[in-house]
Amino acid sequence: MNSVTTPGLASTPLSVGNIIKGRYIEGGAEVYGPPHAQFATSELVLNDLVWKRSEPGPAFETPLAEIMDVLAETGKWLAKDPDGLVAESLEKAARTSPLPYAVLKRSFALLPAQFDRAQLEYQVEREFGGADILDGWRQMPTPPSGRNHRVRAYPPRIVHIIAGNAPLAAALTIVWAALTKGVHLLKLPSNDLFTATMLIRAIASVAPGHPLAQSFSTAYWRGGDTKVESALFRPQYFDKIAAWGGDTTLRNAKNYIGPGFELVAFDPKTSISMIGREAFESDAVLTKVADLAATDATLIEQQACASSRYQFVEGSTEEVDRYCAKLIEKMGVERPFCTPEGRPLPTDMREEVEGLRGMDDFYRVWGDYNGSGVVIRSEDPVGFHPDGRVVNVVAVPNLADALQYVTLATQTVGVYPPARKAELRNALACAGVQRVVDIGNAGGVERGLPHDGFYPLQRFVRWVNDEGGEVS
Amino acid sequence: MTIQAQMKESSNGASDPSDLTPLCKRLVEMSHDPDTAFNMPASDLQPMRLAAAQELFKLRREQIPALRKRAEEAGIDRIESFDDLVPLLFAHTIYKSYPQELIDKGRWKMMLKWLQTLSAKDVSKVDVEGVKDVDDFIERLWEAGHAVLATSGSSGKVSFLNHTMQDRARKTRHLKHTMGWPFTKATSDRPVFWFGPMKGRNSAVEMGISNEENWGSPGCTYALDERPLLISEVSETAAMRKKLADGTALPDEIDAFEQKQKAKAEASADELLRLIDKLLDMRHQPMFVFALWAQHLAIRDRARERGIPDGDFHLETVLFPAGGIKGLNMPADYREQVTAFYGPVIQIGVYGMTEMAQLMPRCEAKRYHAPPGLILMALDATGQRVLGPKDAVDGKITGRAGFLDLMYEGRWGGLITGDKITMDVAGPCPCGRPGPTVLDTISRFAQTGEEDHIGCAGTIDAYVRGGLPA
Repeated sequence: MNSVTTPGLASTPLSVGNIIKGRYIEGGAEVYGPPHAQFATSELVLNDLVWKRSEPGPAFETPLAEIMDVLAETGKWLAKDPDGLVAESLEKAARTSPLPYAVLKRSFALLPAQFDRAQLEYQVEREFGGADILDGWRQMPTPPSGRNHRVRAYPPRIVHIIAGNAPLAAALTIVWAALTKGVHLLKLPSNDLFTATMLIRAIASVAPGHPLAQSFSTAYWRGGDTKVESALFRPQYFDKIAAWGGDTTLRNAKNYIGPGFELVAFDPKTSISMIGREAFESDAVLTKVADLAATDATLIEQQACASSRYQFVEGSTEEVDRYCAKLIEKMGVERPFCTPEGRPLPTDMREEVEGLRGMDDFYRVWGDYNGSGVVIRSEDPVGFHPDGRVVNVVAVPNLADALQYVTLATQTVGVYPPARKAELRNALACAGVQRVVDIGNAGGVERGLPHDGFYPLQRFVRWVNDEGGEVS
Repeated sequence: MTIQAQMKESSNGASDPSDLTPLCKRLVEMSHDPDTAFNMPASDLQPMRLAAAQELFKLRREQIPALRKRAEEAGIDRIESFDDLVPLLFAHTIYKSYPQELIDKGRWKMMLKWLQTLSAKDVSKVDVEGVKDVDDFIERLWEAGHAVLATSGSSGKVSFLNHTMQDRARKTRHLKHTMGWPFTKATSDRPVFWFGPMKGRNSAVEMGISNEENWGSPGCTYALDERPLLISEVSETAAMRKKLADGTALPDEIDAFEQKQKAKAEASADELLRLIDKLLDMRHQPMFVFALWAQHLAIRDRARERGIPDGDFHLETVLFPAGGIKGLNMPADYREQVTAFYGPVIQIGVYGMTEMAQLMPRCEAKRYHAPPGLILMALDATGQRVLGPKDAVDGKITGRAGFLDLMYEGRWGGLITGDKITMDVAGPCPCGRPGPTVLDTISRFAQTGEEDHIGCAGTIDAYVRGGLPA
C-alpha cells in the first residue's frame, strides 16, 4: 500500500506546479530536495507574486454570498473529482508526504467537507456576526460620545507559510483566505507540495475566470531563502504573514516583521491527556478510555500539534501499567488519521527509547520500534519530546499534580471523564492551554471556534474605520 | 566543592591487575605494536574477536544488569556471530536515562542504583552522605575508584559513563601507541597545547590528560581552561532554560544570568587569545597541538595579524585537529585552509567517540583502521542488522556505525551510534594494509528528505528566547 512512497521510485524529479493569480503553471524549471525525493517547480518570477497596493484585489468587492457559492461548488467538485485532479494530486502528494498513503488518502477524502456551506456560514456568523461587515461598512451602535461610525473588515493582503503535516492545513488556509477575500500568496511546504495548488485549481475549474481563484498564488521556494523572502516580505506588498508552526519558520518570519507587516502565528504546539481515576471503574471503561486516548495519540501519526504525547493518569503504578498495556494495544488500530502499523520510529526517537529499556526501577516500556507505537511509563515526564507514536504515561496522585507540566507550548488537553474539565480548565488556561476537550476529540477544531487561541478570520482582515458624519 | 588532583596511574607499567578477560587482553595489547596490529588480515582477527566477544559477554552479563536484561529480551545466550551483538549494543542515550529529578532533588542513592544497572563494578557502597551537588557526587564516585565521566550534550542532560582506573590507564596506553600511527610515535618530550579544558571529569578532559602523559614534556602543558569543567555549571544553564520555559525566571534573574554568560564568553575569548599567542611564540619547537577546526582558523587569523607567514611551524609538530563544525560559520575548505597554514607538519586524525576507548587512527591514505580490540560494524539504517559483503556496492557498504570495544572492564563497551560510515570491505587499503577500512566521509545519520518540512507541532524550546548557549 505504501509502495508509491518507496524512495527509489522518485528518481526523476516530481513536477510541482505553481499558481500565479489563479493561473496554473506546470513545474520543471527549478529542482529541489534530496537526491531520492527531488521535485521540480516552475521558475519563480517574483514580480508575478505580488499585487500592487494601488489596486484592489480581484475579489475585494465580490459579495461574500457569491464566494460561498463558489466554495460550496468547489466542495462538490472535489467530491466528484470529474477531471481526476484530486486523485492525481493524491498520488503525487504521496511521493513527498511523510504520512502513510492510507492516512493521506483518508485526509484527501475529507477535503470536500471543508467547503461545506453551513460551516462557512456558521464561522462568519461567529466571528463577525454576519457577512455585511466583510461586504461593506457596518454601522456601529451609537457610542457614548454620540458620534456615528462605520467599520469594515477590509480584505487583507497575506503571505501564508502553511504547514504540510496534514492536507487540512492547506484547505483551512484557502477557505479562511477566501472568506476574507483579499489577495493571498501561499508558500508551499516541502511536505505538502500539492494540496493547496490542487484546491485553487478546483476553484478555477468550478468558476472559470472568477475573481476568487485570481486572488490566489501558490509557490515553492526553500523556506528562509533570503533572496525571495526579503524581496517579497514587505508591507508595500503584504499586510501580514500568516505562519504555521515550526520553530525555524517563526523565527525566520520574525526577521521581516515591522510597521505595516504583522505576524499571525499559528504557534508550534504540543498536546497532552489527563485521565482521572474514574477510568479504572471497570475493565470495560479502562479499555474505552485507552481507545480514546490512543485516538488522540495517533492523530496524524502523532505529527500534529493536537496529537497527545504525554498522558497523566491518576492511579497507582500497578493501575497505570494496566492502562499502558491497553493503550499500546489500542495504538495499533486502524483509525481515520492513522494506520495500524505506522512508520518505523525515527532514529533519534529510537535512541531515546532505547536508552530507557532495562531501567526497570524508573521506566517501563511497551511496544517496539516498528511504528505502531511505544508507551513509556515514568514517574516524571521524560526529558525528550515524544514523537512518531511515542506516548509518555506519567502516574500522578491527582490530576492537579499534572498542572506543573503544562506550559505555554501546550495546546490541547484531552480529559477523562469530561465532567472533570470544569475543575481543571481555568488552571490549564492560566498555564497557557488553548483547548480543553473530551478525551478522544483532540482532532478537528469546530469551525467558528477560536483556532490556535484566536479567531482566524478576525485576525486575517484589516479593520478599517469610517468615523463620524451622518448615519448612512 | 573540591576537585582532586588528577590521579596518575602507578599501574601504567608491567603489572596489570585488570579484570580483562584473556582473549580481550590479548587483542587489546596487540595495538602496543601497531605496525603488526594494523597489518593483520581480518580473516585472522575476526574469529579471535568473536571468541573474545563471547568471553567478555559471558562475564559482563553477570555483572551489568542492563546487559543481562537486553540479552534475556533478545534471547541471546552466546555470541555465536557478530549478528548476535546487535541487540546488545546500547544507544548513547542509555547513559543519561536516569530521571532528571534524581539530580534536581539530590536523590543520590537512587542515582547510584541507576548507575549500577550500567556498571560492572559494585557502586552501591559509595558514600553519598552529604553530597552537595552533582560534581560532588562524581567526586565521591572517583574517591571510591569509579572513574565516572560526565558529558553534557546540547540538551543539557548529562551522561554518566562509568569505567575503572585500569580502563583509564589502558586507554592512555592504547593512545600512546596508536595516536601518532602511522606517522610518528608518541614520546613525552613536547610542549602540549590543548585548546580545551584539562580539569574536570569529562571525556574531553581525559583525552587531554592522556595526551599530556603520552606526548608532553613535564610542566609544558598549556590548556584553555584552568578552571575545572563543572557539571553543575552545565546543569545551571539547563535549570535556567527550564525556568525560562516555565516562566518562573524573573527579569532580574535573567539579566544576571545573561551578564554572567557574557562575562564568561569575554574571559574565554581573552584566554583563547593568550593561548594562541603562546602557541605562536613557540612555533619553531616541535609541539603537540589539539584544537577544534574553528580554533585552528582563529590561530591562523591571529598569526596573520602578527605577520607570521604560512608554514612557519617546526616540521615535527604533531597537529591533532578535531571536532564538528555544526552551527559554525566555516568556509567549505576549512581543512585545506588549516593544512595550508601549518604547512607540512605531522597531521594526525582519529575516528572515535566518548564511549569508545580504542580510537581508530587514520592512515596515509586517509582511511581509518580498527585496532584488533575493537569490533566495528556497519549496520543498516534502522540499526537492526549487520551489513555484510552482499550489501556492498562497488566493494563498499554504507551504514550506521556500531561497535563493541573489548577494552572496558567498568562497563559494557557495545554501542550503536548515529554516525553514517562507509566501509571498504573489498580489498586492502590504498595504504597497502589489509581492510576493511572506514573512509574519511563520516557524517551523522540524519533523517533524509525532511528539509523545509513545516508542521504545527513544536515544543516549549520555541518559546524560550535569548541568553542561552545552544
